[in-house]
Amino acid sequence: MSSKDNLENLARSGGLKAEPPDRKECEGLLRSAIDRLKDAHNPALSFASRFDLAYNAAHALALTALRRQGYRSDKRYLVFQCLVHTLDVGKAQVRLFALCHERRNLAEYEGYMDVDEALLADLIAATDALLPQVRQAMSTTK
Amino acid sequence: MQTLPLSDALFTATQQKVLGLLYGKPDQSFYANEIARWAQVGKGSLMRELDRLHQAGILTLNRQGNQTHYQANPACPIYSELLGIVRKTFGIGEQLQAALAPVADRLVWAFVYGSIAKGSDHAGSDIDLMLIGENLGYGDVVERLLPVEERLGRRINPTIYTPADWLAKTAAGNSFVQRVSEQDKINLIGGPPPEEPAHEQ
Repeated sequence: MSSKDNLENLARSGGLKAEPPDRKECEGLLRSAIDRLKDAHNPALSFASRFDLAYNAAHALALTALRRQGYRSDKRYLVFQCLVHTLDVGKAQVRLFALCHERRNLAEYEGYMDVDEALLADLIAATDALLPQVRQAMSTTK
Repeated sequence: MQTLPLSDALFTATQQKVLGLLYGKPDQSFYANEIARWAQVGKGSLMRELDRLHQAGILTLNRQGNQTHYQANPACPIYSELLGIVRKTFGIGEQLQAALAPVADRLVWAFVYGSIAKGSDHAGSDIDLMLIGENLGYGDVVERLLPVEERLGRRINPTIYTPADWLAKTAAGNSFVQRVSEQDKINLIGGPPPEEPAHEQ
Protein backbone atom coordinates (compact mmCIF):
# COMPACT_ATOMS: atom_id res chain seq x y z
CA MET A 1 0.00 0.00 0.00
CA SER A 2 1.35 3.46 -0.84
CA SER A 3 1.79 6.20 1.74
CA LYS A 4 -1.09 8.07 0.14
CA ASP A 5 -3.39 5.04 0.54
CA ASN A 6 -2.30 4.61 4.15
CA LEU A 7 -3.17 8.22 4.96
CA GLU A 8 -6.50 7.90 3.13
CA ASN A 9 -7.32 4.79 5.15
CA LEU A 10 -6.52 6.58 8.39
CA ALA A 11 -8.80 9.43 7.33
CA ARG A 12 -11.59 6.97 6.52
CA SER A 13 -11.27 5.29 9.92
CA GLY A 14 -11.59 8.70 11.56
CA GLY A 15 -8.04 9.08 12.90
CA LEU A 16 -7.15 11.87 10.49
CA LYS A 17 -9.21 14.78 9.23
CA ALA A 18 -8.80 15.90 5.62
CA GLU A 19 -8.11 19.62 5.27
CA PRO A 20 -6.38 21.28 2.30
CA PRO A 21 -2.74 22.22 3.01
CA ASP A 22 -2.16 25.83 4.03
CA ARG A 23 1.26 27.30 3.26
CA LYS A 24 1.01 29.98 5.99
CA GLU A 25 0.06 27.43 8.63
CA CYS A 26 2.94 25.14 7.66
CA GLU A 27 5.39 28.05 7.79
CA GLY A 28 4.10 29.04 11.22
CA LEU A 29 4.46 25.49 12.54
CA LEU A 30 7.96 25.22 11.10
CA ARG A 31 9.03 28.54 12.64
CA SER A 32 7.71 27.49 16.05
CA ALA A 33 9.54 24.16 15.73
CA ILE A 34 12.83 25.86 14.86
CA ASP A 35 12.59 28.28 17.82
CA ARG A 36 11.69 25.57 20.30
CA LEU A 37 14.33 23.17 19.06
CA LYS A 38 16.98 25.90 19.37
CA ASP A 39 15.92 26.58 22.97
CA ALA A 40 15.80 22.84 23.73
CA HIS A 41 19.56 22.77 23.11
CA ASN A 42 20.12 25.38 25.84
CA PRO A 43 21.79 23.58 28.78
CA ALA A 44 20.95 26.51 31.11
CA LEU A 45 17.27 25.51 31.06
CA SER A 46 15.75 22.88 33.32
CA PHE A 47 15.39 19.29 32.15
CA ALA A 48 11.58 19.55 32.15
CA SER A 49 11.61 22.69 29.97
CA ARG A 50 14.12 21.28 27.52
CA PHE A 51 12.18 18.04 27.20
CA ASP A 52 8.95 19.95 26.67
CA LEU A 53 10.51 22.19 24.03
CA ALA A 54 12.14 19.33 22.14
CA TYR A 55 8.98 17.21 22.30
CA ASN A 56 6.78 20.06 21.05
CA ALA A 57 9.27 20.91 18.31
CA ALA A 58 9.11 17.28 17.14
CA HIS A 59 5.32 17.38 17.22
CA ALA A 60 5.21 20.66 15.25
CA LEU A 61 7.51 19.17 12.61
CA ALA A 62 5.48 15.96 12.35
CA LEU A 63 2.29 18.02 12.10
CA THR A 64 3.83 20.22 9.38
CA ALA A 65 4.58 17.09 7.35
CA LEU A 66 1.02 15.83 7.85
CA ARG A 67 -0.60 19.19 6.97
CA ARG A 68 1.45 19.31 3.76
CA GLN A 69 -0.30 16.09 2.71
CA GLY A 70 -3.69 17.67 3.40
CA TYR A 71 -4.52 16.07 6.75
CA ARG A 72 -4.54 16.96 10.40
CA SER A 73 -5.17 15.16 13.67
CA ASP A 74 -5.57 16.18 17.28
CA LYS A 75 -4.22 12.78 18.30
CA ARG A 76 -0.57 13.51 18.91
CA TYR A 77 0.43 9.86 18.94
CA LEU A 78 -1.03 9.42 15.47
CA VAL A 79 0.70 12.54 14.14
CA PHE A 80 4.02 10.90 15.05
CA GLN A 81 2.97 7.53 13.66
CA CYS A 82 2.13 9.15 10.32
CA LEU A 83 5.78 10.19 9.87
CA VAL A 84 6.49 6.86 8.15
CA HIS A 85 3.95 7.94 5.51
CA THR A 86 4.55 11.70 5.37
CA LEU A 87 8.37 11.66 5.34
CA ASP A 88 11.14 9.13 4.96
CA VAL A 89 11.33 8.36 8.68
CA GLY A 90 12.05 4.87 10.01
CA LYS A 91 9.85 2.97 12.44
CA ALA A 92 12.48 3.08 15.20
CA GLN A 93 12.58 6.88 15.03
CA VAL A 94 8.78 7.03 15.23
CA ARG A 95 8.86 4.66 18.18
CA LEU A 96 11.29 6.99 19.95
CA PHE A 97 8.94 9.96 19.48
CA ALA A 98 6.03 7.81 20.70
CA LEU A 99 8.02 6.88 23.80
CA CYS A 100 8.67 10.57 24.48
CA HIS A 101 4.96 11.21 23.99
CA GLU A 102 4.19 8.67 26.72
CA ARG A 103 6.75 10.25 29.05
CA ARG A 104 5.27 13.67 28.33
CA ASN A 105 1.80 12.37 29.23
CA LEU A 106 3.09 10.97 32.52
CA ALA A 107 4.51 14.38 33.35
CA GLU A 108 1.49 16.33 32.09
CA TYR A 109 -1.31 14.23 33.58
CA GLU A 110 0.28 12.27 36.43
CA GLY A 111 2.82 14.80 37.59
CA TYR A 112 5.76 12.50 37.18
CA MET A 113 8.74 13.76 35.19
CA ASP A 114 11.73 11.45 35.24
CA VAL A 115 15.02 13.26 34.68
CA ASP A 116 16.32 11.12 31.86
CA GLU A 117 19.19 12.90 30.13
CA ALA A 118 19.80 10.00 27.73
CA LEU A 119 16.24 10.19 26.43
CA LEU A 120 16.44 13.98 26.09
CA ALA A 121 19.70 13.69 24.11
CA ASP A 122 18.17 11.13 21.75
CA LEU A 123 14.96 13.15 21.39
CA ILE A 124 16.92 16.29 20.46
CA ALA A 125 19.10 14.34 18.01
CA ALA A 126 16.04 12.77 16.38
CA THR A 127 14.30 16.16 16.12
CA ASP A 128 17.47 17.75 14.73
CA ALA A 129 17.42 15.05 12.04
CA LEU A 130 13.74 15.63 11.30
CA LEU A 131 14.08 19.39 10.72
CA PRO A 132 16.03 19.28 7.40
CA GLN A 133 13.62 16.64 6.10
CA VAL A 134 10.63 18.90 6.75
CA ARG A 135 12.48 21.92 5.31
CA GLN A 136 13.32 19.93 2.20
CA ALA A 137 9.71 18.83 1.83
CA MET A 138 8.48 22.41 2.29
CA SER A 139 10.84 23.73 -0.38
CA THR A 140 9.38 21.31 -2.93
CA THR A 141 5.79 22.35 -2.18
CA LYS A 142 4.22 24.60 -4.75
CA MET B 1 26.07 -21.57 33.58
CA GLN B 2 22.89 -22.44 31.72
CA THR B 3 23.44 -23.20 28.08
CA LEU B 4 19.98 -24.50 27.19
CA PRO B 5 16.90 -22.28 27.42
CA LEU B 6 14.30 -23.59 29.88
CA SER B 7 11.69 -23.59 27.16
CA ASP B 8 13.70 -25.88 24.87
CA ALA B 9 14.15 -28.43 27.66
CA LEU B 10 10.41 -28.49 28.34
CA PHE B 11 8.57 -27.94 25.07
CA THR B 12 8.96 -28.58 21.34
CA ALA B 13 9.35 -25.58 19.05
CA THR B 14 5.74 -25.86 17.85
CA GLN B 15 4.39 -26.14 21.40
CA GLN B 16 6.37 -23.05 22.36
CA LYS B 17 4.90 -21.08 19.48
CA VAL B 18 1.33 -22.17 20.20
CA LEU B 19 1.53 -21.76 23.97
CA GLY B 20 3.49 -18.52 23.57
CA LEU B 21 0.67 -16.99 21.55
CA LEU B 22 -2.37 -18.46 23.32
CA TYR B 23 -1.05 -18.31 26.88
CA GLY B 24 0.71 -15.02 26.06
CA LYS B 25 -2.70 -13.49 25.34
CA PRO B 26 -5.08 -15.68 27.34
CA ASP B 27 -8.08 -13.33 26.96
CA GLN B 28 -8.04 -13.60 23.17
CA SER B 29 -9.04 -16.43 20.87
CA PHE B 30 -7.22 -17.22 17.63
CA TYR B 31 -8.20 -19.23 14.58
CA ALA B 32 -5.93 -21.92 13.15
CA ASN B 33 -4.75 -19.95 10.09
CA GLU B 34 -3.88 -17.02 12.28
CA ILE B 35 -1.83 -19.24 14.60
CA ALA B 36 -0.14 -20.94 11.61
CA ARG B 37 0.82 -17.60 10.07
CA TRP B 38 2.15 -16.27 13.36
CA ALA B 39 4.03 -19.42 14.30
CA GLN B 40 5.30 -20.05 10.76
CA VAL B 41 4.77 -23.80 11.09
CA GLY B 42 3.08 -26.20 8.70
CA LYS B 43 -0.67 -26.52 8.99
CA GLY B 44 -0.44 -30.33 9.46
CA SER B 45 1.83 -30.37 12.50
CA LEU B 46 0.06 -27.32 13.92
CA MET B 47 -3.37 -29.00 13.69
CA ARG B 48 -1.99 -32.12 15.41
CA GLU B 49 -0.59 -29.95 18.21
CA LEU B 50 -3.79 -27.92 18.61
CA ASP B 51 -5.77 -31.16 18.71
CA ARG B 52 -3.57 -32.64 21.45
CA LEU B 53 -3.67 -29.45 23.52
CA HIS B 54 -7.43 -29.34 23.11
CA GLN B 55 -7.84 -33.00 24.09
CA ALA B 56 -5.77 -32.36 27.23
CA GLY B 57 -8.00 -29.42 28.13
CA ILE B 58 -5.15 -26.90 27.84
CA LEU B 59 -7.03 -25.07 25.07
CA THR B 60 -10.72 -24.55 24.44
CA LEU B 61 -12.22 -24.84 21.00
CA ASN B 62 -15.05 -22.67 19.80
CA ARG B 63 -16.59 -22.61 16.31
CA GLN B 64 -17.51 -19.17 14.96
CA GLY B 65 -19.09 -19.57 11.53
CA ASN B 66 -16.65 -21.62 9.52
CA GLN B 67 -13.68 -20.65 11.69
CA THR B 68 -12.44 -22.73 14.59
CA HIS B 69 -11.13 -20.55 17.39
CA TYR B 70 -8.69 -21.72 20.05
CA GLN B 71 -8.09 -20.07 23.38
CA ALA B 72 -6.23 -20.72 26.64
CA ASN B 73 -8.55 -22.68 28.94
CA PRO B 74 -8.91 -21.07 32.38
CA ALA B 75 -10.56 -24.28 33.67
CA CYS B 76 -7.37 -26.26 33.02
CA PRO B 77 -5.92 -27.34 36.41
CA ILE B 78 -2.48 -26.01 35.49
CA TYR B 79 -3.75 -22.84 33.74
CA SER B 80 -2.03 -20.39 36.09
CA GLU B 81 1.17 -22.43 36.15
CA LEU B 82 1.28 -22.46 32.34
CA LEU B 83 0.65 -18.72 32.24
CA GLY B 84 3.59 -18.27 34.58
CA ILE B 85 5.88 -20.55 32.59
CA VAL B 86 5.01 -18.81 29.33
CA ARG B 87 5.42 -15.38 30.88
CA LYS B 88 8.80 -16.20 32.39
CA THR B 89 10.23 -18.16 29.48
CA PHE B 90 9.40 -18.05 25.81
CA GLY B 91 6.41 -15.74 26.09
CA ILE B 92 8.21 -12.52 26.74
CA GLY B 93 11.36 -13.16 28.74
CA GLU B 94 13.31 -15.18 26.22
CA GLN B 95 12.36 -12.95 23.31
CA LEU B 96 13.57 -9.89 25.18
CA GLN B 97 16.75 -11.70 26.25
CA ALA B 98 17.45 -12.62 22.64
CA ALA B 99 16.82 -9.06 21.43
CA LEU B 100 19.11 -7.64 24.13
CA ALA B 101 21.85 -10.28 23.74
CA PRO B 102 23.98 -8.10 21.41
CA VAL B 103 24.18 -5.37 24.09
CA ALA B 104 24.31 -7.73 27.08
CA ASP B 105 27.93 -6.81 27.84
CA ARG B 106 26.83 -3.19 28.40
CA LEU B 107 23.97 -4.21 30.71
CA VAL B 108 24.31 -4.58 34.45
CA TRP B 109 20.67 -5.43 35.07
CA ALA B 110 17.68 -5.84 32.76
CA PHE B 111 14.21 -6.77 33.95
CA VAL B 112 10.51 -6.48 33.20
CA TYR B 113 8.31 -4.82 35.83
CA GLY B 114 4.73 -3.57 35.83
CA SER B 115 1.56 -5.48 35.05
CA ILE B 116 3.24 -8.20 32.96
CA ALA B 117 5.67 -9.12 35.75
CA LYS B 118 2.84 -9.02 38.29
CA GLY B 119 0.66 -11.23 36.11
CA SER B 120 -2.13 -8.63 36.16
CA ASP B 121 -1.75 -7.82 32.47
CA HIS B 122 -4.41 -7.90 29.78
CA ALA B 123 -3.94 -8.35 26.03
CA GLY B 124 -3.22 -4.67 25.48
CA SER B 125 -0.82 -4.12 28.37
CA ASP B 126 2.55 -2.56 27.60
CA ILE B 127 5.76 -4.29 28.59
CA ASP B 128 7.63 -2.10 31.08
CA LEU B 129 11.33 -2.74 30.65
CA MET B 130 14.13 -1.46 32.89
CA LEU B 131 17.63 -1.41 31.46
CA ILE B 132 20.53 -0.47 33.70
CA GLY B 133 23.88 -0.21 31.97
CA GLU B 134 26.51 1.94 30.33
CA ASN B 135 26.56 3.43 26.84
CA LEU B 136 23.02 2.44 25.96
CA GLY B 137 21.00 4.80 23.78
CA TYR B 138 17.22 4.89 23.38
CA GLY B 139 17.51 5.00 19.60
CA ASP B 140 19.52 1.79 19.49
CA VAL B 141 17.42 -0.01 22.12
CA VAL B 142 14.12 0.94 20.49
CA GLU B 143 15.37 -0.38 17.16
CA ARG B 144 16.34 -3.73 18.71
CA LEU B 145 12.98 -4.06 20.43
CA LEU B 146 10.80 -3.24 17.40
CA PRO B 147 10.66 -6.83 16.05
CA VAL B 148 9.75 -8.14 19.52
CA GLU B 149 6.96 -5.56 19.79
CA GLU B 150 5.59 -6.73 16.47
CA ARG B 151 5.83 -10.41 17.34
CA LEU B 152 4.21 -10.02 20.74
CA GLY B 153 1.70 -7.40 19.60
CA ARG B 154 2.54 -5.30 22.65
CA ARG B 155 4.28 -2.00 23.10
CA ILE B 156 7.56 -2.08 25.00
CA ASN B 157 8.39 0.90 27.19
CA PRO B 158 12.08 0.93 28.00
CA THR B 159 13.65 3.05 30.71
CA ILE B 160 17.43 3.31 30.55
CA TYR B 161 19.60 4.25 33.52
CA THR B 162 23.29 4.05 34.17
CA PRO B 163 24.17 2.11 37.36
CA ALA B 164 25.13 5.50 38.88
CA ASP B 165 21.66 6.94 37.97
CA TRP B 166 19.94 3.95 39.51
CA LEU B 167 21.96 4.12 42.75
CA ALA B 168 21.57 7.91 43.01
CA LYS B 169 17.80 7.75 42.43
CA THR B 170 17.51 4.92 44.94
CA ALA B 171 19.49 6.87 47.53
CA ALA B 172 17.41 10.01 46.88
CA GLY B 173 14.18 8.07 47.47
CA ASN B 174 12.95 8.67 43.90
CA SER B 175 9.31 7.50 43.92
CA PHE B 176 9.43 5.75 40.55
CA VAL B 177 12.63 3.83 41.28
CA GLN B 178 11.35 2.89 44.71
CA ARG B 179 8.08 1.62 43.28
CA VAL B 180 9.90 -0.40 40.62
CA SER B 181 12.34 -1.85 43.19
CA GLU B 182 9.55 -3.20 45.34
CA GLN B 183 7.55 -4.73 42.47
CA ASP B 184 7.61 -8.25 41.09
CA LYS B 185 10.10 -8.60 38.27
CA ILE B 186 10.95 -10.95 35.46
CA ASN B 187 14.73 -10.98 35.53
CA LEU B 188 16.31 -10.99 32.09
CA ILE B 189 20.00 -10.24 32.49
CA GLY B 190 22.30 -9.63 35.48
CA GLY B 191 21.27 -8.24 38.85
CA PRO B 192 21.22 -5.09 41.00
CA PRO B 193 24.26 -2.85 40.55
CA PRO B 194 26.65 -3.05 43.52
CA GLU B 195 26.37 -0.17 46.02
CA GLU B 196 30.02 0.82 45.65
CA PRO B 197 31.60 1.03 42.22
CA ALA B 198 34.06 -1.83 41.84
CA HIS B 199 37.67 -0.77 42.39
CA GLU B 200 40.23 -1.71 39.81
CA GLN B 201 42.70 -4.25 41.06
